[in-house]
Amino acid sequence: MSRPEDPPTHRDHDDIGCLAAIEMFYAYLDGELDDSVSIADFEHHMAHCRSCFTRAEMEGLLNERLRELAGRRAPDRLKSRVRDLMKRF
Amino acid sequence: MYRPAKRGRCPVPLGRLATVAPERATIRGMTERTATRRDFTQAVEAQIDALYGLALRLVRKTADAEDLVAETVTKAWLGIDTLDDPNRFRPWIFRILRNQFISEYRKASSRPRLVSIDEQEDDTGESDLIPLLSGQPDEFLQWWANPETDVANRLLGEQIMAAIDELPESFRETILLVNVDGLGYDEAAKVLGVPPGTIRSRMKRGRTLLQKALWIQAKDAGLIRDQETKK
Repeated sequence: MSRPEDPPTHRDHDDIGCLAAIEMFYAYLDGELDDSVSIADFEHHMAHCRSCFTRAEMEGLLNERLRELAGRRAPDRLKSRVRDLMKRF
Repeated sequence: MYRPAKRGRCPVPLGRLATVAPERATIRGMTERTATRRDFTQAVEAQIDALYGLALRLVRKTADAEDLVAETVTKAWLGIDTLDDPNRFRPWIFRILRNQFISEYRKASSRPRLVSIDEQEDDTGESDLIPLLSGQPDEFLQWWANPETDVANRLLGEQIMAAIDELPESFRETILLVNVDGLGYDEAAKVLGVPPGTIRSRMKRGRTLLQKALWIQAKDAGLIRDQETKK
């Protein structure tokens, strides 16, 4: 997805428009948009709409921050407890 | 408060393990069971951090979270025959943990409430997002889309977590499973027992609600100056 060079043009005759793009926002960013036509439509819009592009960048950044929240490690005593538990299975 | 059966001990009598797969009580079966146990042990160890993280988000207290994980591992082993696809171990054991939490949680809990998804949510669809977005204040959209404010980097992890905690349970769970734990939509759907389309719908609505909650967090934290909100 390349950064749009032109000023925002929210919709042209080939464009899906901002609302349709926003509908696809999270599925696209989460890698869950598997329909090639939808992906092409979304990326076309992003290439032409600076507002949506910026918003997508921010959402992507927030995704990174959210992933950082997963960094918690289980305490060693829990790992040891679970290992002991599984030895008894 | 979440109350585990018996802390520090296997809550299931070991004799019950014999009922897991009686056909395995042959020499060949013993070998298979050993292999299964080894695979199971490796799979659990690979997921132990994620299981603990999920448990801690649900029960909030470290001791309770550890108990919940231990009970989940026991239940998972007892139900190992229900694991249809070993490649889907993570959503399978996440679901067991969540179900264990719900069954215990409904007896007693320190969290405010866990409302059934059916009670609070309309998952009907795509069009729900439009009124939600149009209801957002312009100041929020301007702030959110403005790279100069550098919102995502200025918010602390605790503030982001506090914003997530403000969300209705179904959206909170979905965002945490997808964006924090890294589950795919179909995996999250399996954990929560809903169709994948519901996850997609919840992501759109939940993330939009999260933006509002982040806005409030940012305001409360003084990250947004008055002049920024009046641009």
